[in-house]
Amino acid sequence: MAKEKRDIEINSRADTLPLMGPDVRPWPVTPPPDPEWVMKNVYAKRKAEEFGQFLEDNLRLDYVFDKPEALQGFKMLGMGLWRMGHKFCTGLLAEQGMEFINIEPPTGDPARQLTPFGREEYMLKDAATGTPCGLDFLHELRNAQSITLNIETAEGREIYKKLAMLVDVIVEEYPPGYMDSLGLGYRHLSKLNPNLVYCWIGQRGQWGPMKDELSKYGQWMLSPFGACANAWVSNTGFPPDQCPRGGKGGDPMRSGVWLDDYVAGEQAAVNILAALYYRDQFGGGGQFIETTAAEALMDILDFDITWYGFNASIKARTGAWDPNLNQYEWNPCKDGYMMIGGQTDRLWYRIGMCIERELPLFGRLIHEDPLLKEMAARNALQALIKTYTVTTKWLRDINRIEAETKLMEYEIAAGPVLYIDEVAEFPHFKYRPWVNTIEDEQYGTVMYSESCGAFQHRSPARVKSLGRPLGHDNGEVYKKYLGYGPMKLRELKAKGVI
Amino acid sequence: MFEEDIKKLKVCDFDELPGPKSKEELDEMKAPFEEYCKKAFDVGNEMVKPEALKGIRWLSTTMYIFTPHSVANLAELGAECIKVEMPRMGDPMRHTSPFNEAYLYPLHDTRPMTGTGLGFTNANVNEYYITMDYHVPEAKRLFYNLVKMSDGLTECYRHGTFDRWKQGYRTLMEINPRFIYVWGGGFGYGPKMFGGSYDILGQAHAGLASVTGAHEDFGGHATKATNWVIDWYSGTQITVCILAALHYRRKTGLGTMIEFSQVQAATRCLGYTAPLYGRFGIVRQRWGNWDTQLCVHGIIMTGKTDFPDAQNPQDKFETRYVMLSAFQDADFQELCNIIKKPDLFSRYKTHKDRVGAPAQIEIYKAIEDWAADKSRSEVVRIFKENGLLAAPVMNDREVYECEHYRQRGTVRWNDDPLFGDILVHSGYSCGLMSKTPRRHRWQWRPVGADNVKIYHELLGVPMSKIQELYDKGIL
Amino acid sequence: MTDIIWCKKDVGGKPCDTVNYLDPYCFWNWEGKVACAECGTVYYIHMIQGHMYSGPDEKPGEKPDILPLYADKPNDGYSNYLPGIEGRTRPYHCLPRHIYLGKADMVKFSVRGRPVRGWRPQPPSAGVAGSFGYYWDIEKLSPEVWAEYQEKIAKGEVKDW
Repeated sequence: MAKEKRDIEINSRADTLPLMGPDVRPWPVTPPPDPEWVMKNVYAKRKAEEFGQFLEDNLRLDYVFDKPEALQGFKMLGMGLWRMGHKFCTGLLAEQGMEFINIEPPTGDPARQLTPFGREEYMLKDAATGTPCGLDFLHELRNAQSITLNIETAEGREIYKKLAMLVDVIVEEYPPGYMDSLGLGYRHLSKLNPNLVYCWIGQRGQWGPMKDELSKYGQWMLSPFGACANAWVSNTGFPPDQCPRGGKGGDPMRSGVWLDDYVAGEQAAVNILAALYYRDQFGGGGQFIETTAAEALMDILDFDITWYGFNASIKARTGAWDPNLNQYEWNPCKDGYMMIGGQTDRLWYRIGMCIERELPLFGRLIHEDPLLKEMAARNALQALIKTYTVTTKWLRDINRIEAETKLMEYEIAAGPVLYIDEVAEFPHFKYRPWVNTIEDEQYGTVMYSESCGAFQHRSPARVKSLGRPLGHDNGEVYKKYLGYGPMKLRELKAKGVI
Repeated sequence: MFEEDIKKLKVCDFDELPGPKSKEELDEMKAPFEEYCKKAFDVGNEMVKPEALKGIRWLSTTMYIFTPHSVANLAELGAECIKVEMPRMGDPMRHTSPFNEAYLYPLHDTRPMTGTGLGFTNANVNEYYITMDYHVPEAKRLFYNLVKMSDGLTECYRHGTFDRWKQGYRTLMEINPRFIYVWGGGFGYGPKMFGGSYDILGQAHAGLASVTGAHEDFGGHATKATNWVIDWYSGTQITVCILAALHYRRKTGLGTMIEFSQVQAATRCLGYTAPLYGRFGIVRQRWGNWDTQLCVHGIIMTGKTDFPDAQNPQDKFETRYVMLSAFQDADFQELCNIIKKPDLFSRYKTHKDRVGAPAQIEIYKAIEDWAADKSRSEVVRIFKENGLLAAPVMNDREVYECEHYRQRGTVRWNDDPLFGDILVHSGYSCGLMSKTPRRHRWQWRPVGADNVKIYHELLGVPMSKIQELYDKGIL
Repeated sequence: MTDIIWCKKDVGGKPCDTVNYLDPYCFWNWEGKVACAECGTVYYIHMIQGHMYSGPDEKPGEKPDILPLYADKPNDGYSNYLPGIEGRTRPYHCLPRHIYLGKADMVKFSVRGRPVRGWRPQPPSAGVAGSFGYYWDIEKLSPEVWAEYQEKIAKGEVKDW
């Protein structure tokens, strides 16, 4: 019998790739609710029509490009490889309007080559040259002009110094002392440009007994070394009392993202903006800043180190539960995990009343059990075990959306653990939108996480572009700031300077 | 030499010559880099340096961690910040403490048996603490007067609540057009505008939880990032927005309103997750303690803990994890030699080969098998001796005892003016600054501790009136 | 068919009537034998996605693989077995200290031996409208702690770190 002719033949994973793109599989799959619907069904129900309209009129993402940028006029150089720290820091500032030139060696930032499980098919190809670029790099290098410069050549160093004289900020992320050894550290550049704000970002420090290291082959120290050095990893994850150790869920756990880098990046951005404020408001000149992943994440370890100083407690990991609050956790349900929160008496009883409708046993916890009456007592370990065992007995029979709907009837802060496809289709996310798409000049339509500073009345943050091909802006930047024309660039390229 | 030439030499401007101009400058340029850094940051002398945000006054009508942290950042940088709490009760976060064990007293003289739990730590440092029941008409004028003499405010009430109480942006921008108004919450305008939010909700809703933890094929579960980390992380991004708005105001004299949603912030840090889904429809999953993009670059378990005889269970049972990194070819080859599996290298010579999922499973298993009869410190020592990158997964005690943080001043003791000897790991750790370093003055103060200072000394309310408002429960 | 085992085993003419809590993450997918914290009856269970695929079936004479973390008797005044009672409940190891209080720890001195206000009640010291100054006069307010501190200094128990 002749083989049936099909429109689409799928014989391998490679055959599926052309079926996945935004042209054939549009986002969002279903349209977000429209503003009229929201007005009628959300704002009006709380008698907040006028206020809701005010927010819609003044904060909607659609109006971002009708407004000026907060940091227009500041210029910044980015100088880093591999890590997210300098990319997130410069990204936040560039989203607020700071002009940003990112410098890479002619070989490019190795982060351009990173792709999950080494799969090149998940990299995006630049329309002009076909050079692939990894998605992390594309996503995080925002509003940047990309240039190349080899500072290991004498000419490259001279060019770097000239650029340093023109900018307000340098964000640098090379190994400790490397730039300094080339005569390009803060102590050298500040002589040329006393108004320079210079920020180094790293994992553990550029000085001190546990400063950043290189392997003997020159490999850099990347996240999560920072998070391992400050007890964050030690505190995250399920205890071996809940899941077995050894890769089966019961070990200390790193974040799925390079979280310590992100935290360092945002604190570096705060420090830089404060330093610029000091410089401009008080004429205090530039300064030297150092922000590390280990320490910036340690800043936000709640009370943990303080607690050790108080009574020698070493915080233990508690999985998806929280030792400070009950209820405040997620537990497994029929189709995933369901988060429930609300520790005050009022919320405790409301959660209980919701669950006992279908699971009368839970009613005994709120009506009867003398050990669960008092708010603080409910945080005891045995109280968590009992509460969450019975809660899960309810959750295992229902899926996330059913649980959310039932709990919402009682105005409980509850939400499902969502995967990215669900996040992208979540009505509120689509409405804002928080994951958005941009039609990139080089890479086509790219989905990205929207800037968090974009919802602002007068000078919102915005995403103008995502990562660019290597050296994409050499022509413009070198002409604009140093006067180098195409012939000169050709010459520099031949010498390996750019 | 001709006289003219000598004259020329004399007019030569010394300052224009390249190079150091004084002995101090020469020393500075010649000092080893680490010495230079130590001198530049001058740990321990933060208080004699100027404050970056001198003159900024900020109101914090906030609760929990997320929005308070946006103000604590300003307070550490030198802004004068005023925390407004509900009379007698205070911020609900004062009533949280790990396993109900750690409190500092007093919360307030009228409640001698209630303390402030350590859950409140670090989110509101250096601030003045006043109480006010805002929506009582008698409090309105006091509130407006505070707004007139402040630069901005951060609030976290359910969206529209302050607007209804006539103290939202629409009202305050009329009173003080330079005012920067921040609302921080879960969702902001839109279909879920009135949905409440917590750190854990942000982690769950935004997709962070779906990529953190061991893969379900290995028996793992979606894992909560500890420490209310999304609260803190989002709060810092608010501070970025505030400072950008301050710069804009310097140019234009105009304030603004910032609406910041922490649920969105948790999606912002997901890196390739969104573009991978958008272009290829691939839904990113958890990958435990390994890395989806680099191999070897992950945390392994060793066979023995470092302190088997310790009393504390965290020391006794948990000090057995090591962060290892050897993803470049030469590093990986060295690693294979160390664990006596040179064949692994011959099979996974390129990074592309070894970063695939089956390869990672095989490689990490080989490393853990090798480490099964070793302790954490032995593994770290062996790797470091061979020039590779390795570090122990440290716990709170080890961080406290770590010389690195002590030298850098990022863990230090503070003689708190009201609560005594408190160990501090915040503020200084956000970053060293050579000219305008952050500083930690006090951790927190009792509920309403600065009522007289602010209401009497700043707003001119007579003492008898303060007493009256206090008795009525308005302060 | 639950993820608690409500043991009704007849013990000395009366039902055991104890609820053994099978905490969700440990038992979500699990197969083996669990013993009742009260009467020690061993039950075989096989749980898949939180549901009892089979069991609980009594296995007289066999050894349990695991014990519950917590068990209580709702019909007997909520008497209970906390985690870590030998032979009844399994210990919970992943804790911040070797002791577990579950209530406020009265602390007078930090780990380096200096006074910290971690105990109650504190003598009142607020001014008008609950206001406080910027000075803790420990010698005046809590002379007994001050005296204890002097002893600690004399004994060399007060350290810099």
